[in-house]
Amino acid sequence: MTRGAAAAVCRYLGSRLGQALIALFGVTTAVFFALRLSGDPAQLLAPQGASQADIAALRHQLGLDDPVWRQYLHYLGDLLHGNLGYSYVQHEPALTLITQRIPYTVNLALSALVLSAVLGIGAGMIMALNRGRWPERVLTPVVLIGQAMPAFWTGILLILVFSVTFKILPSTGFSGFDSLILPAVTLASLSAATIARITRGAVLEQLDRDYIRTARAKGAGTARLVTRHLARNVSIPILTVLALEIANLLGGSVVTELIFAWPGIGQLTVQSVDGRDFPLVQAIVILAAVVYIVVNFVTDIAYAVLDPRVTTTGKAAGA
Amino acid sequence: MRIPRILRIAAVAGTAVAALAACSTAPTGGPTATTGSTDASLTADLASYPASLDPGLQYDTDSYSVYRNIFDQLLHRDPKTNKIVPWLATTWKQTDPKTWVFTLRDGVKFSDGSALTAADAAFSIQRILDPKLASQQNANFSAIASATGSGNTLTITTKYPSPTLLSYLTTLSVVPMADVQKAGNAAFNLHPVGSGPYTFVSSIPGSQVVLKRNDAWWGPKPQIAGVTFRAVPSGASRVADLKSGKADIADSMTPDSATQLTGSANLKVLSAPTERVSYLAFNTIKGGATNDPKVRQAISMAIDYKSLISNLEQGYAKPVNSVLTPLATGYPTALPGYTFDKAKAKSLIQQAGAQGKTIVMATSPTYDPQIVQSIQANIQDIGLKVSIQNTDQATYLKKVQSPTHDWGSIRFGQWSCSCLDADGVAYPLFHTGTIWSSYSNPSFDALVDKARETITPATRTGLYAQAYGILAQDLPGIGLFQIDAIYGASTKLQWTPDAQQSFFVADMKLGS
Repeated sequence: MTRGAAAAVCRYLGSRLGQALIALFGVTTAVFFALRLSGDPAQLLAPQGASQADIAALRHQLGLDDPVWRQYLHYLGDLLHGNLGYSYVQHEPALTLITQRIPYTVNLALSALVLSAVLGIGAGMIMALNRGRWPERVLTPVVLIGQAMPAFWTGILLILVFSVTFKILPSTGFSGFDSLILPAVTLASLSAATIARITRGAVLEQLDRDYIRTARAKGAGTARLVTRHLARNVSIPILTVLALEIANLLGGSVVTELIFAWPGIGQLTVQSVDGRDFPLVQAIVILAAVVYIVVNFVTDIAYAVLDPRVTTTGKAAGA
Repeated sequence: MRIPRILRIAAVAGTAVAALAACSTAPTGGPTATTGSTDASLTADLASYPASLDPGLQYDTDSYSVYRNIFDQLLHRDPKTNKIVPWLATTWKQTDPKTWVFTLRDGVKFSDGSALTAADAAFSIQRILDPKLASQQNANFSAIASATGSGNTLTITTKYPSPTLLSYLTTLSVVPMADVQKAGNAAFNLHPVGSGPYTFVSSIPGSQVVLKRNDAWWGPKPQIAGVTFRAVPSGASRVADLKSGKADIADSMTPDSATQLTGSANLKVLSAPTERVSYLAFNTIKGGATNDPKVRQAISMAIDYKSLISNLEQGYAKPVNSVLTPLATGYPTALPGYTFDKAKAKSLIQQAGAQGKTIVMATSPTYDPQIVQSIQANIQDIGLKVSIQNTDQATYLKKVQSPTHDWGSIRFGQWSCSCLDADGVAYPLFHTGTIWSSYSNPSFDALVDKARETITPATRTGLYAQAYGILAQDLPGIGLFQIDAIYGASTKLQWTPDAQQSFFVADMKLGS
């Protein structure tokens, strides 16, 4: 790589990092003020029979009676020290509460991602390569159904079939690998359908191109055509969808986690928003923002690796 | 040699799957080994993970259900009679109107082996009262001025004579002072040490808490050797857990899900009337049409109470004659209750000149929309218009508890003071100036204030009879029904739920 190209890459990465930090600052500020507009946690936390004075005392203990700007400065100061605050409801550091849940969400998200990538890309390829023939006619309705079924319905259906009727898989909770199967399938069914549609579209677009005709003319079989010629050219749109799905899945799937009583970030999010547990909500939102930013950053780099045109034109993806 | 890309991708995917299978997360905490007893182990589904396992902090039902098995309480309520009976305190006496002296049981040990003394009991109260802990239970014990312990004698002084002190002390779990101070509050919350019938084994935060029988417990040996509390937020999933045999008992069932269970041969529904009461409260200060007592009386005759109980609650509710349940001390037994009389209600509305007027009903998603809507329909039947304003719970509370009283005309709510006492309803809901009250009547206030500081039970009951008599006249609120706690359970489980919704596993038995 020439010195000029290296400098371009550095400039590119630097500007992406700068944008990431600005986005993160925007998110931390937005979540802080949005929460302050959403109601008083002290009223929710106090016992039913509490007096006005009890509630005022609780508000004072939580520091919610300070002017908002002072609360905000305090919060930013804590953030700079890596302190995400202390849960009002659970009386534990917000960071501890989140890190306890991360392994479960990551476990579920990655399993669902692998499942949906394999099924989605596979189905999309088969549909595109067999355009108008029976494999496409069989798969199209399957993909449509996958796209149309909401997680709360798929989840309960799977539980009724595999746990209540056949009793072969656990219904809820976390108890090792077998308890991962139903939630992962539920979560994967939606993503797989999306990925299949995008893959089909991307492949179809390429199939009409000259290089494919040339490759076919040279006698390349379907397997060689897909691996040597198509894969790299369809990878950019698929990667874009995959990146979005990763970020979504890592943010915690609220519905799937609630149905399967899966102890991940999604469940924690619902509880903390319900209880107006400000520090915990802030911490979760910041974490989700970091995940999105990191995934986007990695995706941008992956674009450059897969398609050198993205880096040589430099700002194309970054600007 | 170049490895084909597809193979490399396959290899990466394979590694990822293997890694996933391997990284099954182990529960935090100690070993999950059971006691080696052949006795049964119970799995219980709760609606959410306990907000806290430290009994000095939260006191919501799911937290109570778990930690009250780990700790002993100072006093206890007999589940059959609801009378206060000895527990950690064996005897108690009142030495003057504001001083109570308790004698604690000898030989009680925490599960770490240290002895439980009166100093631990005093500490358990002091830390709840300490503003630094920011305990949500603070308001329940705010009548207490001081608590001191020496040897096995605990002395509590109150700020004023407090007839409900003993009631609240049945909910006081005693924690080991030395351990809490050494471990710190945050660590104690994760590894609670108590003296109760069960001890903490392990937890997966957000998912489950495992307890095992404390064989050194001073009480009779519980039949159930271990219990796993699981947090299953979806009601449909709790039903599925019961049906698939994953859970032996599930809490927080709705009347609809209970009827679903009655069809299964190996499942049953357990229910018990609780002290929770469904009610309507009026804005009598800035409620518009509902400022007029005639309109409130008309609405009290417009509600089809029987239909609410039989159709919406599927019979899992009982009628009441005031905003209080018969379980509470001070329940006004002499009151006639409410009647459903649409014709008379219509004529009252006409007398009041309120026909066609719009009243605003404030509610939040916390409250059953079916009940809110059927009440709306009932009231519209007698010639008023009802506009429902549904906001999230935090906004609802802000509105309703605002001292400006401009939240609307009528609201539906459910009330439980966890104290089984008339004071826990009359004072916070209807006394002038309290956060929930949009009603003001000096003679009612005087009666409630006096009863608050009256110890003699007969005198208190007399005062509440008068106070609730005033409420029956003025109707700042209407009691709709007493709510049942509903559990779904395996037929193998023998247990009678009680009015306090206390989930004492020591009272349960599991057959084979």
